[in-house]
Amino acid sequence: MTKETFAADAVKIAMERFQSGQIDRRTLLTALGALGLVAVARPGVSYAQAKEVVLCNWGGAAVEAFQKAYGEPFTKKSGIKVAIDGAGPTTGAVRAMVESKAVIWDTTDGGMVDGVVLGKGGFLEPIDYTMVDKSKVGPTGAAEFGVANYAFANVLAYDVSKVGATPPTSWADFFDTEKYPGKRTMCKWIQGQLEPVLIADGVKREDLYPLDVDRAFKKLEPLLPQLIFWEGGAQSQQLFRDGEVVMGNIWHTRANLLKKEAPERFTWTWNENVLFWSAWSVPKGNPAGKLVFEFINSSLDPEGQITLLRLMGNGPSNPAAQAVMTAEDKAVDPASPENTKNNIAISTDYYADNEAELQNKFLDFIAT
Amino acid sequence: MRPFDRWAVGLTVPAVLLTTLFYVLPIAQVLVLSVTEPAPGLANYEQLLGSRAVARVVMTTLEVSLWTTALTIAASYVVAYALVQMRPSVRRVALFMVLVPFWISVLVRAFSWITILRREGLVNLAVTGLGIVDEPLQLVHNRTGVIIGMVHYMMPFAVLLIYANLAGIDRRIMQAGRSLGARPMTVFWKLWVPLSAPGIAVATLFVFIFSLGFLITPTLLGAGRTVMVAEYISVQITNTLRWGVATGLSTMLLVAVGFVVFIAMRQPALRAAFSGRQG
Repeated sequence: MTKETFAADAVKIAMERFQSGQIDRRTLLTALGALGLVAVARPGVSYAQAKEVVLCNWGGAAVEAFQKAYGEPFTKKSGIKVAIDGAGPTTGAVRAMVESKAVIWDTTDGGMVDGVVLGKGGFLEPIDYTMVDKSKVGPTGAAEFGVANYAFANVLAYDVSKVGATPPTSWADFFDTEKYPGKRTMCKWIQGQLEPVLIADGVKREDLYPLDVDRAFKKLEPLLPQLIFWEGGAQSQQLFRDGEVVMGNIWHTRANLLKKEAPERFTWTWNENVLFWSAWSVPKGNPAGKLVFEFINSSLDPEGQITLLRLMGNGPSNPAAQAVMTAEDKAVDPASPENTKNNIAISTDYYADNEAELQNKFLDFIAT
Repeated sequence: MRPFDRWAVGLTVPAVLLTTLFYVLPIAQVLVLSVTEPAPGLANYEQLLGSRAVARVVMTTLEVSLWTTALTIAASYVVAYALVQMRPSVRRVALFMVLVPFWISVLVRAFSWITILRREGLVNLAVTGLGIVDEPLQLVHNRTGVIIGMVHYMMPFAVLLIYANLAGIDRRIMQAGRSLGARPMTVFWKLWVPLSAPGIAVATLFVFIFSLGFLITPTLLGAGRTVMVAEYISVQITNTLRWGVATGLSTMLLVAVGFVVFIAMRQPALRAAFSGRQG
């Protein structure tokens, strides 16, 4: 299994709401690219014609959602077509494409950490802030190799029917197996997993980084027999539906879907949620060149971002969107002030330096 | 060589070219990456051999593969033995049922097993409903679930391999045994089993080697608690970008499999199986 990123999962959520998108030639080419066959398939095929921006996200119907939220507004303004390729810009895929000098994507929908890691490796173009308006994103949203496109969060979700009269309100409750017997779920991918553990162990949020990994493991070890690890959002949702778990650390979009499905049975708390920013990055040698930054700049306008929030639950990265949002919008947006009051902001720098090592340690730790 | 043989050999040239171009060369590329990435040298192998985590992943892989092999062979032998005893009309239906799982994707099968084995799944509802156990059994999201899923995946292969062998055994030998006064159990243990050694050997080797490389089944049914080599490699390729480590581990897996095959081929039962002779 490849790692399913949040973005990949957002795609699946959208798929449940849209007709599935079709595979076009570009998708095929990308798939070939990921296999390193682009060099063979390349001659005689002209992809990325002039006046076109190719965006890579996680496939299927998010092609449609992103087209509505980001593509159409840009095309209306500029006349430039936005082609959306759903092949999935894993760091591995971006690296393979840049190394084989067969780049077909202009921008990719990855994480802030991916931007730093790939940027350090020399696989990305720096974001051109003469063309992208920094003021459209929050202070942490404009990095050298990535600019925030939406927010998502890891939240404590629970099954109301299984937690009794006083539902859990904090990560400390996640560890209280006497008060809340039953299995829990956490994500197998490390980002955002140890922070709740340390918070539950009494670490103050300002002292979280660098993570005290040994302390976190020590706290988590007794809970291991009670844990099921999810690796894709759909799976996390299924664990709740099936009654396998009583509570879990899952993406807010999935918690939101669970609640929509069964409002009496499922809900979540925003307390101590872990906030992430997803980001646009630009692979080195992208076919559209500087043009892509015009698109990126346009994608940061509030209207399109609110469209995406309503379609898939992803929180706008432009703070100006807050003024236009309804109370209903804000209730599911992890970046709205009400929901960030008591949250944990993920440290991009920390993960950029430590994720690979930490991920392997974590896999080793959770495996029996 | 007669002209006909020469033609026959010539006809394999396109296949050889295709295999070389799309199979041998990419694998060679992988082998090369393991000694050049991120820097030339054997650092990746040093790291792999010195890593406690990798050792644990390898041990898990071996344990799971051995359990899978043992259970698959035992269960498949029963099915294959039943198949050869059946009337042809019944056997056609039974063989069809053995083959059905082949047409179902490994993903679908893994999810189906989760549905059957989970806490509130079919099996647990049955055993708790009948009062056999008080607490639901933990059948999935752990090693037990992984092994169940893998055995199910491997059984059709093993059944067919063993069945092909059993079907070719000269049944007059059993008649001779019975006429000399052997009881059915004696006939089974002293005649059927030894005569089917080549089939068992081939199936064992096949199932074991195949098991070493399982990815989707352990990932889904193990839910993070059972990490096997293929998943570890996959994480290093797509997540951590440690391609050198990933290709190094792939190379080691390849060499290990080659070694197992080499050792196995020295066994008389396997040599017999591949030379087409019985017993």
